[in-house]
Parts: sequence; C-alpha cells; structure tokens
Amino acid sequence: MTLAFDALDTTSSPLARIDPRWKLLTLAPSLVLVSMLRHPWAVGGALLLTTVLLLAARFPRRFLLTRIGAVLLFLAPFLVILPIQSGIAGIVPALTLTARALAIVFLALSLVATSPFADILKAAQALGVPGLFTRLALLSYRYLFVLADDFVRMRTAIVARGFRNRMSRHSYATVGRVTGTLLVRSAERAERVAHAMQCRGFDGKHRAMNGFHTRWSDVLFSVIVVAVAAGLFAWDWLSRA
Amino acid sequence: MPVASTISVTGLSFTYAGSAPALQEVSFDIPAGETVGLIGPNGAGKTTLFLCLAGVLPVRQGKVSVCGLNPSIAEERRKLPTHVGVVFQNSDDQLFNATVFDDVAFGPLNLGLHPDEIRQRVQAALAMVGLPGFESRVPFHLAGGEKRRVALAGVLAMRPEVLLLDEPTVFLDPRGRRELQKFLGDLPGTKLIATHDLEFVLATCRRVLLLDAGRIAADGPAEAILADASLMESHGLEVPASMKR
Repeated sequence: MTLAFDALDTTSSPLARIDPRWKLLTLAPSLVLVSMLRHPWAVGGALLLTTVLLLAARFPRRFLLTRIGAVLLFLAPFLVILPIQSGIAGIVPALTLTARALAIVFLALSLVATSPFADILKAAQALGVPGLFTRLALLSYRYLFVLADDFVRMRTAIVARGFRNRMSRHSYATVGRVTGTLLVRSAERAERVAHAMQCRGFDGKHRAMNGFHTRWSDVLFSVIVVAVAAGLFAWDWLSRA
Repeated sequence: MPVASTISVTGLSFTYAGSAPALQEVSFDIPAGETVGLIGPNGAGKTTLFLCLAGVLPVRQGKVSVCGLNPSIAEERRKLPTHVGVVFQNSDDQLFNATVFDDVAFGPLNLGLHPDEIRQRVQAALAMVGLPGFESRVPFHLAGGEKRRVALAGVLAMRPEVLLLDEPTVFLDPRGRRELQKFLGDLPGTKLIATHDLEFVLATCRRVLLLDAGRIAADGPAEAILADASLMESHGLEVPASMKR
C-alpha cells in the first residue's frame, strides 16, 4: 500500500478554503520578512501571530506535535550552547532564535499543509513555476512511496531467508546489492512511466487543470498577513536604527 | 472489396540495443472492430509489439499502419495517441497523478481540449468503467481492480479506435475479471489483448495471434489454435482447462 497525497483532516479549517495560489503568494514575502526579524519583541510578536494561524488551521494534534518536536530537537544544541558560551546573556538570543524558527515553521505549515500537496504544486505552476519542476516534484513524491514499498518487500524477502543486519561484510554487501537493485528497478519503472505518458500524448509540455477561483477573502487574507509581517519588520528595523 | 485494416503490420522487426531481436518479420492485419488475442510465452515480444504499434519504439524495419497512420513518420506518430490506447500490465505505471480526475484528464489535457470538454470526458470515461464519483480519490489507495479501471478510463478518455491491452487480467480477482470480460465485450472498436489468461482469450476473442521468440507462429481462429495441444506446448503454452474436458 502506497501512502501518498493524503490530505490532512483540515477541511473544516478556514485556511483550507483559501485559494492555494494566494497562500503561496502570502508565504514567500512573509517568510522572508519573519526570517529577518531580530528584536526579541518583534520575534515574539511573529510567534504569537503565527501560532494564531496554526490554531486556525486545526491540524491534528499528533501531526503538530511531531513537527514541533522535530524543530525543537534541531534547535536543542543552540538552546544549550549559546547560554553555555555567553552565560545569562546568551539566553535571550537562544530563545529569540528558537522563537523565530518556530514562527517560520508555523507560517509554512499553516499556509502549505492546509492544502493537498498536488494543489500546492498546481498553484505553484499557475504562479509561474516551470511545469517541469512541479511535474518532477509530483512524480518524485509519488514514486518515493512505491520505492518504499519495493524496499519493504525486498527486506521481507531477505529476512525470510535468514538475513540479519549485522556489522559484517556480508551485511554490507547485501545492503549494497539491495540498494543497487532498487535503483535499477526505479530506472526501469521510470522508463515504463515515460512510455505510458507518451502513449497518452505527452509531448514534453506540462499542462495542469486547476479549479482555483480567487475570492475577496483570499485577497484580504493575503494582504493582512503580509501587512502584519511587514509591520513587524518595520518595527524591528526602527527599533534597531 | 477488402475490409480496411485498422492495424496493418508487414515484416516488422525490432531489436533492442545490445540484445537479441525482440521481433522478427512480424506480419498481420486486423480489420476494424475485431478483437484479437495475442498469446505467447514470456519474452515472446508482445509488449515490444505494442510499443511499436503505439509509436513509442521506433519502427526501422518493416511497415506499420495503425488507423492509416505510420508510426515511422514523426508528424503521424504524434497523432497516434488519439487513435491508439495502450493499457499497460502494471496500473501503477500509468497512475502518476495525485487524483483520479487528474489521471484520467492527463490524456485529454495533452490534446489541448477545452476544460469543459475535458471534464465531460473524464466523467464519461469514469462512468464507462463503473467508477462515477471517484474523481477526487487518490489512485494509489485503490484496490487492484479499481486501479485497472482508472487506467482504462484514462485511455478511454482519449476516445481511441484501437485498444491495446497488456495482460489486463493480472491483479484482478474473479469478479473483476468477469466485469472486464463483459466490459470489453460491450466496448466497440478494435482490440488486441496480450495475455497469458487463455480462458479469457477464449471468452473474448475469436481470433488469436501466437507470438514466440519474436515471430508469429500461428494466426487463426482462437478455438482452433488453443485446442492444438502440440502447437501450444511447442510454444511454451498449454490447452486451456475448459477445452481439455
């Protein structure tokens, strides 16, 4: 069973109803502005506001906790090293760094993960991202799971024949062969997929049909979020000047 | 007056780089509307033949004409997808979009059709294969039979006159197989079905081409060829169980 393109259960959230194109148009400038914030109060404000967005997205709790946990794990060394290096004076920069990272992640999650992955790619293409990139992203994402399925089947087959992964030459050689086989199978599958695309008239041009319709609420949302991010940035800049 | 052939192949030979010939002097004609079985052992060249007919593999030796189009000519090869539909053995190789709608619409989109017509074709194709309302489903989560039907819908949305089916009953349970049999029986147009499922061939095809080692070993009525035990066994096949009784 391949697991791909499952939309998260956020269909009841207001963010899920916003046109993905406007969410992407909001994401780019907002991300840049938030990432440039330096003043702890400005960063704190960004974190607060992006938390509000996150709550509005109504993600499943487990989904949120795993992602926040992963970010905190990544930032843990900085939270430890900065105070050790600079003493009490290092605590505020460490917390500012963490808050800014979380604000960026919350913003990205709220704007990207509230639409199905395929819609985000279509939106990107509608906004001018070359169809080749979006098609490659779609195919890579889709067949990554097929590859994972193949790997699980191969692993089951070798374990059923008594293989145990140990620190031995035999184990390393087996892992190498399995990897090589997966690569060869992927190449063969890619050729078959290309044939199937050709048989259905694919001529190298990447076309997509989307049912996107801009509403006033999409534009308003985008303007408000970018304006708030710009306002925080202006405050941050002025407070440093 | 001879009946116009939808598929006409004369002296077709094909060799993959660095390999033994996959097809050798293959010749046959299939008139419009006929359903023909293509049988043969593994490695006989069935899939290669399909790829040559669909214009995917270049035809350098021999003559091929499908719906009056010559796959050797680039201009005519580009028109083939509107006339020839290929359903591949593994549906996962044909389902590479995020939703059933996107997958079935892929072909009509490439034809440059208007979005309204694309939507109409997608709905009609899904209705034909018995999957109305499946537009927003994720193809990879479907059961084997449903995936096969979505793959078929994706081809039918192109409205081809000729359908090439490569092992269509693989991964199908008995009910799926019966439904496919009925569906193909009701579907107009020319069909060439490559399969190891000889009972399926008996049920759907009146004529059979036996391909072995890239050559046509037999071409004739399905019942006569499939009942010929020495012919079948000499080519790595066997008489279907229903004919042995």
